[in-house]
Amino acid sequence: MSTDTTGTDAATAITDSPGGAKRERLYRYLLFASASVSILVTLGIVFVLVTGALEFFGQYNPLDFFLGTEWNIDQHKLGVLPALSGTILVTVLSAMVAIPIGLAAATYLSEYASPRARSILKPALEILAGIPTVVYGYFALVYVTPFLAAFGLPVGTFNVLSASIMVGIMIIPMVSSLSEDAMSAVPDSLRQAGYGMGATKYEVSTGVVIPAAISGIFSSFILALSRAIGETMIVAVAMGQSPQLLQFAEPLANLFESNQPMTSAMITLVQAENAAGVIYQSMFAIGLTLFVVTFAMNLVSNWIAARYREEYE
Amino acid sequence: MPTGEAEWHGAESEVSQTRGRVFEALCLSATSIALVSVLVLLLYVANDAFKPLSADPGWHLVILVTLVLPAVGLALYYYRIDEPAGEVAYTVTGLPIVGFLLAGGLGVVFAELLAIDEYFALVIGVAAVVALLFAHTRLRPTAPLERVVLAPLLSIVVVFGTPPAAIAQFIGPDDWQLVVDPAVTVPGLGWHLDLGGFALTVPGLPYRIVSLPELVLKSPVLPLPSLQLLAALTLPIAGLAGWFVGRRHESRQDGLLATGLILVGGAATLALEPATGVAATTWLVVYTTTVVPLAVYVEGVYRRGQLAGLAFPVVLVAGGLAGAVLTRALGLAGPDVWLDWGYLTSAPNSDPALAGIYPALVGSIMLLIVVVMMTFPIGVGAAIYLEEYAPSSGLVGKFVTLIEINISNLAGVPSVVYGLLGLAVFIRWAQIPNGSIIVGGLTVGLLILPIVIIAAQEAIEAVPDSLRQASYGMGSTRWQTVRNIVLPEAMPGILTGTILALGRAIGETAPLLLVGIAASVRLAPNSFFDLGSAMPRQIFTWAFEPQAEFRYGVLAAGVVTLLVVLLVMNATAIVLRNKFERTNT
Repeated sequence: MSTDTTGTDAATAITDSPGGAKRERLYRYLLFASASVSILVTLGIVFVLVTGALEFFGQYNPLDFFLGTEWNIDQHKLGVLPALSGTILVTVLSAMVAIPIGLAAATYLSEYASPRARSILKPALEILAGIPTVVYGYFALVYVTPFLAAFGLPVGTFNVLSASIMVGIMIIPMVSSLSEDAMSAVPDSLRQAGYGMGATKYEVSTGVVIPAAISGIFSSFILALSRAIGETMIVAVAMGQSPQLLQFAEPLANLFESNQPMTSAMITLVQAENAAGVIYQSMFAIGLTLFVVTFAMNLVSNWIAARYREEYE
Repeated sequence: MPTGEAEWHGAESEVSQTRGRVFEALCLSATSIALVSVLVLLLYVANDAFKPLSADPGWHLVILVTLVLPAVGLALYYYRIDEPAGEVAYTVTGLPIVGFLLAGGLGVVFAELLAIDEYFALVIGVAAVVALLFAHTRLRPTAPLERVVLAPLLSIVVVFGTPPAAIAQFIGPDDWQLVVDPAVTVPGLGWHLDLGGFALTVPGLPYRIVSLPELVLKSPVLPLPSLQLLAALTLPIAGLAGWFVGRRHESRQDGLLATGLILVGGAATLALEPATGVAATTWLVVYTTTVVPLAVYVEGVYRRGQLAGLAFPVVLVAGGLAGAVLTRALGLAGPDVWLDWGYLTSAPNSDPALAGIYPALVGSIMLLIVVVMMTFPIGVGAAIYLEEYAPSSGLVGKFVTLIEINISNLAGVPSVVYGLLGLAVFIRWAQIPNGSIIVGGLTVGLLILPIVIIAAQEAIEAVPDSLRQASYGMGSTRWQTVRNIVLPEAMPGILTGTILALGRAIGETAPLLLVGIAASVRLAPNSFFDLGSAMPRQIFTWAFEPQAEFRYGVLAAGVVTLLVVLLVMNATAIVLRNKFERTNT
């Protein structure tokens, strides 16, 4: 086919011939179709989740699902609150790990690090995001839990704490790289103005750069949290298979016992002996809840980044 | 202002300096704490997988002296004094590693998926299609549209025989069968396809056109497998290498010479079978994926005269050999590693000493094949449309904006949700067997499609506009510009992004769990419709084995295998990107 462009007479013939124009149009349609696949995927997800969830709610009272406090697959008791508490626990704890560390790492990379240190640390942090999550789960189960137990913490084999620490470490790169992008986008003139006022580097970092980049930083937090909510494998390996309501009497006991968030509850459901009927459809109800929450968080994150962005010339 | 003095910044300079230093130290330690903790965990896994402490102390000493010290010394020399040579050193060391991995992948494909004679027949079929299309270009250069229609038709008829019956026979399980149903079809005209519960009848079409590969396979005289491989694998690679060398030397003769030499070398490997007892086909695969790229690269290094870098692999190999010989002579026991050849080539077992990862490895490779075949064309096509064709205004323009927003949001959807999509669409609706490789591949493919699209878009965006303008100025149409200018220029970037996305795909587990990929299989899958396992799925299964030998042995070895594959893929992508970025500026 290489003669199309090498032979001049052939090339002119093609652009002049009606076949050439038709071919151009055909390719445009083909490419357009492949670009539309992504829309189809979204529509597919929404359709599948909504129809599945509707079928489920036809057989199972939505109130019992959303407000039910009991979770027992064998007895078909499928209240989502215990699994929701698992999700909230993991999200809050992992945020407590990832937000301070990620923000500090972003500040260091953007304000303090020499170009050479940056060129090593930044890709190294991104490697953290590339490790498969099942491997993080293995780390939590096999190394972190015995490590915590060696410190005298009363942790079970499967527990919330080690899984949450690992989820936190996994989402650090997300916080650090997005926050760093926001901080690097703050123009140097603002920093120079701070120094001109006699401020130290610390004062410029905390008093000028971080406030100026705050919208980007917040949007990175929200994205990281949505990632933590959707995380499946770490919690499926290391956190156990029994969703439990939060115990307010003994707050710390929540951390040392096993629990199960919504994501890995779906894994248990699909692997259940009688994974048909209500059990099968309940996955779609949980999936829809998960999808709506994470999708809304992603939208909010984009909106904050765009709406509250300080515009600099 | 009575306390005006104290309000000035810097009035308490001592205090604020310490505060600043403490803050910087805190930030640095936060950055390192994440990295160090994961590094420590990785060291723990490596320790569990390789158990270096189980070796004789003398063994460590010998290896340190023969291998580690010379290699570290040389690496320091490159780092301090001769940086270009260091680059040559890591490329020339990394190429064989990538080559061996590729050889392993090809070996798995030939052993499980596509026997060598089937591959040979397939290559002949594809070559025939290319030849026919080329002939058409020559005979009817003014009918491009005809060719566009002809290409897929010819491929189907020549390569697969009558559609889709032969396709089913080609990739499908044994219980898919083609029967002539007298109730619905005139004998010899029309076909009825029974896909195990999913039946399709189309009357009126010719019953069967035998495909070219089938004809080849049925022919009574087929060359030896090694010769088939020489023709179907080494010959195309040799041609490619020859073209590359010819372009580098600006001499067609040199290129032909290179092709000839590579073929002669390939023929020479056939003589290794009687000498070593290892099959000639194995030698040929290793030769083609490892020796050929290495030779082409070394030839380039030789031309540039950067020979210092070539010393590194020589030191590594010589040191390793010397260490092996010495430790054997002195009777020093090496470590009792979990991750050894036996582990890589045997099936999962309830006895940890016998357990291996082979079927899961095969499953992962086949999964990746499905993912690539699905995401690469769609992802690149979508990126081309969004970057080169999409209008920015009007109704279509609005739709395009929607697509762009949608793609970035899809990348944030939890992976379990994709698993649900796969479960409902591919298994419940399309009735593809639960847990088959193709379902897993398609589901993971949907998951990484947005990543591939975004990466390809970035690569296409980076192509300078002046090139496009020049092409349009020469009278090219949009498609000609895309095909001849934009795609070749953006291809390294697209490949880098795709390899990185595949790295994500190989570690994905949650969607595989939802579409029922097997917890563990004893026999490796032989077709895309077979039930299969995958490496991360197998790791998940092993994580619940209570025995310590599994937790701290078999499981660690599995994790290291997965991470090594991932590391090699990512390193390849990064080297590719660096090389491309440098030549571009």
